[in-house]
Amino acid sequence: MRFPHLVKTGPYLLLRSFMFVWLTYSSCMGQNSPPGPNGAVLDVGIRLQKTINLYAENGITVQYTNPKLVTQRLYVGLSYVTSRFGTALGSNAIKQDNFLVHAAYYFRPNWLIRPMVKANVGYFKADYGDAMFNVLPRTSLLASPEVGLCYCPNIPLKVNASLGYNLLTGNGVTGPGTLYPVFVQTSITWNILKKTTN
Amino acid sequence: MKAIISLLVMIVGVACSSEPTITKDMLDGGTLFDPSIYKPENYLVSKAIPTPTPEQARKPVIIACHGYTATTFEWDELRTWAAGRTDILLSQVLLGGHGRSYDEFKKSTWRDWQSAITDEYDRLEKSGYQNINLLGSSTSGALLMELVASGYFANRTAPRNILLVDPIVIPSDKTLSLVKVFGPMLGYVETDQSADEDKVYYRFRPQETLQELQNLLTTVRKDLEKGIKLPPNCTLKVYKSSKDSSADPVSAVLIHKGITTDQGKPITVDLIDSDLHVYTRLNLRSNVTTKDRTNQTATFTDIAARVLR
Repeated sequence: MRFPHLVKTGPYLLLRSFMFVWLTYSSCMGQNSPPGPNGAVLDVGIRLQKTINLYAENGITVQYTNPKLVTQRLYVGLSYVTSRFGTALGSNAIKQDNFLVHAAYYFRPNWLIRPMVKANVGYFKADYGDAMFNVLPRTSLLASPEVGLCYCPNIPLKVNASLGYNLLTGNGVTGPGTLYPVFVQTSITWNILKKTTN
Repeated sequence: MKAIISLLVMIVGVACSSEPTITKDMLDGGTLFDPSIYKPENYLVSKAIPTPTPEQARKPVIIACHGYTATTFEWDELRTWAAGRTDILLSQVLLGGHGRSYDEFKKSTWRDWQSAITDEYDRLEKSGYQNINLLGSSTSGALLMELVASGYFANRTAPRNILLVDPIVIPSDKTLSLVKVFGPMLGYVETDQSADEDKVYYRFRPQETLQELQNLLTTVRKDLEKGIKLPPNCTLKVYKSSKDSSADPVSAVLIHKGITTDQGKPITVDLIDSDLHVYTRLNLRSNVTTKDRTNQTATFTDIAARVLR
């Protein structure tokens, strides 16, 4: 992360020191918070998604795990992202919705930054705004693998950043035209079942 | 282990080979050129009739612009169809960087492609032509929309009609969206087309021009998202194949949502029951059906009616 206006200045060094201390603290204190009921985790938050060379689509995401799910390495969840809360907000972009179910696997559960893979399946729907376009493909199944990293400090926060690939896309004959292959996403979630020691 | 390394070196070598094998029988080869370069007066109204009579100046002029990698050939059938008509004048523009050679194409930008259109428009306007109409296929559709969005017509005689056949905003081949990453590794992309088509369409697409195409499409898409207003007294119609493996039909949706007349009214879209890209060009295609012929004639007739009314 760069802060050009703070380079080599007092505030920049102070900020770096604070971040170092906070990250170290988060890393070291990772095992001390009491878990949720039965050790379950329910992460709730927002998902910010950007398709390469197309729309920003944002929405919500929820995922759940408990100790029985591969010792809390495997999560299952739901997401809804839409251009209505992204590029189409206040513009003429096509309004489109993505409904996703996912399974995510987190490696290195004790690490502060954990590698993560995810498999999404779901349903895509675009609203073309005029009945004359009903002859064009507007819906599709979704299937996309994701790979990325999760910043998982001791507090109930998770910040996921990943690169995804839609296996099903439009090709001018079949599939919606605004269903593109590659996207990047960031999700910021909070484990609502976890209580902090403080 | 050595075999794996050799294989990797070969794969990287092939992937990074930046120059295609071009023959002299191809437009790419630098020996075949678009005929409008030799005889511009046969293609451009501004060259054929540089000082029109008042009657000629009132006639509708259609500036017909072709698509990416194409040449004036793409609108030859409109010229043939209109042969003998004295009520319409046709200018067939060769886009910048096109119809010359692979190397000329490789170093051209989308601004260069577009400049040939504005050059002809400026010449016609200065000559006194009053009824200028723009007809664009495929990538020229994007070039014409960008002209409107950029305000090019703000202090000029506005075109009466802008007519777009299979305009592209969203490519059907979605890998174009990744051209900045994979383009430099590939160097170029080869098109599967006949030997006859090799003489009038570039066979090889330099990755530099694919990046230019992607840049143009991104610019136009964002312009459409913001909203484009046509100049006063100008209409726009889109003729779009409902199935198209080059310009995704959803491009018509984006144009319909993104462009309005100067009075805020929607533009006209006609979805054509066809699976051809630039369905108005049938020469050199195999398996042309009666329906394809009907679609072509209907569109030419509609274009003529629109510029004459």
